Amino acid sequence: MELSLEAKRRLFTGGLAFLFLILLGRFAYVQLFRGEQFLEEANKNRVRVIEVDPPRGLIRDRFGEVLVENSPAYAVYAMPGEIRNSPQAYEIISAALHTTPAEIKQYIARNKRGNFVPVKIGRQIDFAAFSLLNERRLELTGVDFRTESRRTYDHGVKAPHLFGYLSEISDAELSLFGDNYSPGDLIGKKGVERQYESVMRGVKGHRFVEVDALGRVIRDLTEEDGERFRSNPPEPGKDVLLGLDASLQRMLEAELTGKNGGAVVLNCKNGDVLALVSKPDFDPELFSRTLTPEIWNRLLNDPNKPLYDRMVQSVYPPGSTFKMITAIAGLETGLINPNETVFCPGYYVFGGRTFECHKKGGHGTVNLLGALEQSCNVYFYRMGFRVGLEHWSDYAARFGFGKVTGIDLSEENAGLLPTVAYLDRRYGKDRWSKGMMLNLAIGQGDLLVTPLQMAVFAMTIANEGHSFKPRLRRSVLDPFTGTEEFVEPDTVEVKGIRPETWALVKRGMFLVVNGSRGTAVRSRVEGLVSAGKTGTAQNPHGEPHGWFIGFAPFDDPQVAFCVFIENGGSGSGAAAPVARKILSFLLENKKLTPQLEADEAAD
Amino acid sequence: MLARSIISWKDIDKVIIVCVLLLVTIGLMAIYSTTSSPASSEAIRHSFAKQVIWFLAGAMIASAVVLTPVQYLKGMAYSLYGLCVVLLILVLFAGGGKGVHRWFILGPVHFQPAEPTKIAALLALARYLSDERRDLRSFKDIGICFAMVLVPTVLILKEPDLGTAIVMASLLLPVLFWAGLSPFIVFLVVSPILTVISAFNVYTFGAAMLLIIGVLVLSKRKLPVLLAVLMLNVSVGALTPSLWNRLKDYQKTRILTFIGLQQDPRGTGYQVAQSQVAIGSGGFWGKGWTRGTQAKLRFLPEQHTDFIFSVVGEELGFWGVTLVLVTFFVLLWRALGIAVSAKNKFLTLMVVGCVTLIGVHVIVNTGMTVGIMPVTGIPLPFLSYGGSSLWTNMTLVGLILNAGVRRFQY
Repeated sequence: MELSLEAKRRLFTGGLAFLFLILLGRFAYVQLFRGEQFLEEANKNRVRVIEVDPPRGLIRDRFGEVLVENSPAYAVYAMPGEIRNSPQAYEIISAALHTTPAEIKQYIARNKRGNFVPVKIGRQIDFAAFSLLNERRLELTGVDFRTESRRTYDHGVKAPHLFGYLSEISDAELSLFGDNYSPGDLIGKKGVERQYESVMRGVKGHRFVEVDALGRVIRDLTEEDGERFRSNPPEPGKDVLLGLDASLQRMLEAELTGKNGGAVVLNCKNGDVLALVSKPDFDPELFSRTLTPEIWNRLLNDPNKPLYDRMVQSVYPPGSTFKMITAIAGLETGLINPNETVFCPGYYVFGGRTFECHKKGGHGTVNLLGALEQSCNVYFYRMGFRVGLEHWSDYAARFGFGKVTGIDLSEENAGLLPTVAYLDRRYGKDRWSKGMMLNLAIGQGDLLVTPLQMAVFAMTIANEGHSFKPRLRRSVLDPFTGTEEFVEPDTVEVKGIRPETWALVKRGMFLVVNGSRGTAVRSRVEGLVSAGKTGTAQNPHGEPHGWFIGFAPFDDPQVAFCVFIENGGSGSGAAAPVARKILSFLLENKKLTPQLEADEAAD
Repeated sequence: MLARSIISWKDIDKVIIVCVLLLVTIGLMAIYSTTSSPASSEAIRHSFAKQVIWFLAGAMIASAVVLTPVQYLKGMAYSLYGLCVVLLILVLFAGGGKGVHRWFILGPVHFQPAEPTKIAALLALARYLSDERRDLRSFKDIGICFAMVLVPTVLILKEPDLGTAIVMASLLLPVLFWAGLSPFIVFLVVSPILTVISAFNVYTFGAAMLLIIGVLVLSKRKLPVLLAVLMLNVSVGALTPSLWNRLKDYQKTRILTFIGLQQDPRGTGYQVAQSQVAIGSGGFWGKGWTRGTQAKLRFLPEQHTDFIFSVVGEELGFWGVTLVLVTFFVLLWRALGIAVSAKNKFLTLMVVGCVTLIGVHVIVNTGMTVGIMPVTGIPLPFLSYGGSSLWTNMTLVGLILNAGVRRFQY
């Protein structure tokens, strides 16, 4: 069976045509049927989305003065797929970033999201490190720099406890609010930065770039490359305007330098925090650079605990500043007659124990006002015992003791308000003595408060029960539109207290400052009538703590404050002079409308 | 002067020349495109100019081949073949490269003896089969033909160069068939290949066996012949695993990836995947010349050599792919016309060999870029970058044209 050449040719041509048609069919399938899909794939190959960080909102004071702003800094990135091949690079980088090659390797391995996705290995590096790395850039394959911003505090206000700080987002936070964050991003960790993270952060933008097979950026893509490659700019974060008065804060920070303690000044009209100083503190700039373990350990192990916000986080016995609670509870329950006198020989014997008054020789005969003015312990021992723990703790609770004030700062301490239930729990039912009430009546014993709670207490008395939740943020400013959104203050009513009671207590506090035997004469300011109460809290660990709380002007209170000096010795000696500074500063700078006639109020 | 007296311009097949010029032009365009990328390495940037020079040299080679009298071609066929086999043996010992022995490296020149071997083998085969004394029913004569092809094939496999070996081996059956070998014998040879391919899977193996039995029954052969052929195929199928184990790992990987049993995204699979992405993303009209992102950004490996067709597919789209394939088809179809009309048996067999070599290259290479052929590393004629490949193919075209102008000679 021999085929003709022509037949063979037909067989060959047919076979060839058959094979070519199969090929064409395959090409048609790949290019026409699945073309869109492969185009998608090709774009996935070449297009990388670069996140553009939004500028973070600033922190300003009540007058708009900028307190915390952004300044440019450099971040170091490493491309995992490229840096692997150059071991000497690790030496150079680790030297510049003050770490070890092993740590960098570990960090890259942990944060790697692909061979050609850069990992941020150093943030906010200083200029020296930047120059060092830049000089040896040729040896640093796969290492790149990007600008980023760094928080700066160039306006003389440190307030690190208040502002808080930013730090790299943790894995837990990342899984919690992942959408707007990527590994290596900064997030507010403490203070206002944390509280108003969502306001100040803004929304990330995106930019599309074309990369080659090695992941190197070739060019920026624009709308001309297709609608979907249009970059969207970041939405900047909003500014947070605090109620803070920067000048007052600055003055107080300077005044309290070297002391352990602080001061809180509140606006009586809305609860704004006008100043909040806790000393010792630390330089917030430390946290806006790479925080080395040495610095961190130094701060953490400092016996003076600079990381603690003493005004909000620390608790102390309030001492005599708490006597107003005993007075109010007694007056409201009818157990104290304001005219009833008590003789103070300088001590009080109860249950076989001697309770001392702070004045060795005694105050003699005192009624309620005299006892407040001179801070007579004996009077309050007796009245406190009469009022009893249940009434006392009931009224203290009405003023918010034992609970957080709700200020817009995380990690606020609630303090401790002993109640019958608490003491039963702690010491066993009926296992605690009635004498315990004597100590509580003068603000000692198991009672613990924060200075912020005491400032709120002062504001509540000043406003006769119409109080406010203390707050840092006053408004939010959109830097683009210039619109400022004010936040309504949260009012807090302390109910069930008669006007006569308020008047008596305030009258007593007036005498503390203005009376001839008042303990706070050192807080007195010419031309301004104020009221207050000193406290000297016994402290088993050392010198007593000095307290002073108050408000001014007396007839129309605009500010309330609490000054607290740890181991200051006494309230009148250590705290009252600071209050005087506060008041005279406000008066001199016309931040208070003064009440000139002291006698008017005195009557 | 001798040449002019023998051939005239009007006898030259202009269609074939146009086809070649078109293919080379598209190839140069694609090579230019790959060199215009900012991501291109220094070596690639010069390849366009080099390819132009190689083409000009190749055109001269082709002209010389056209002018060479048949007697010379036929006369030197055996000695050329012998020389090539010697070179193939030598290259195994003296060849350069790490683990592979494909090239003689003489300074800047890399000479790959497998390339001229393809031509030498086809000339030798054509000369052997054009002898009137050959009897294609004789085991001896067929055996010699097999040996002529298999010796260089095995040597090339040793280099190792699976792609060229496949091309080499593919020469045998079409030429033998053209020379008059019984289709049944062709089937006898093809069926074990089918068996080997199908042996990886019980179902495909069963289907292949049924097909073979069907053809045997239809061919009305005697039962013993039928059983013998069947036994042969079953034993080949059974032997396949042990033969499989003798393959090099990278060869196994290629084959496994090809038949979809192994995912190899970093190696061969990556190339094919990126090539398909390139071609597919071209759609019907393509992304436009020099605007292929896959090629320019170097996601496509070996884009100016073995995967040049992916660049065509990406930048010129389906119509460009069709143009190239149709052009190849026209070229081969015209060549087959010459093969039919050539009166000289040597010439007609020579042309069929040329058609086979070009056709196998085109089908395997383009099929590889869309994932329906294994990645064997063979170039696309006239389009792929590379001097030796271009010269080989220009020589083949020269041989076809040579037969065309002499088709009436006996």
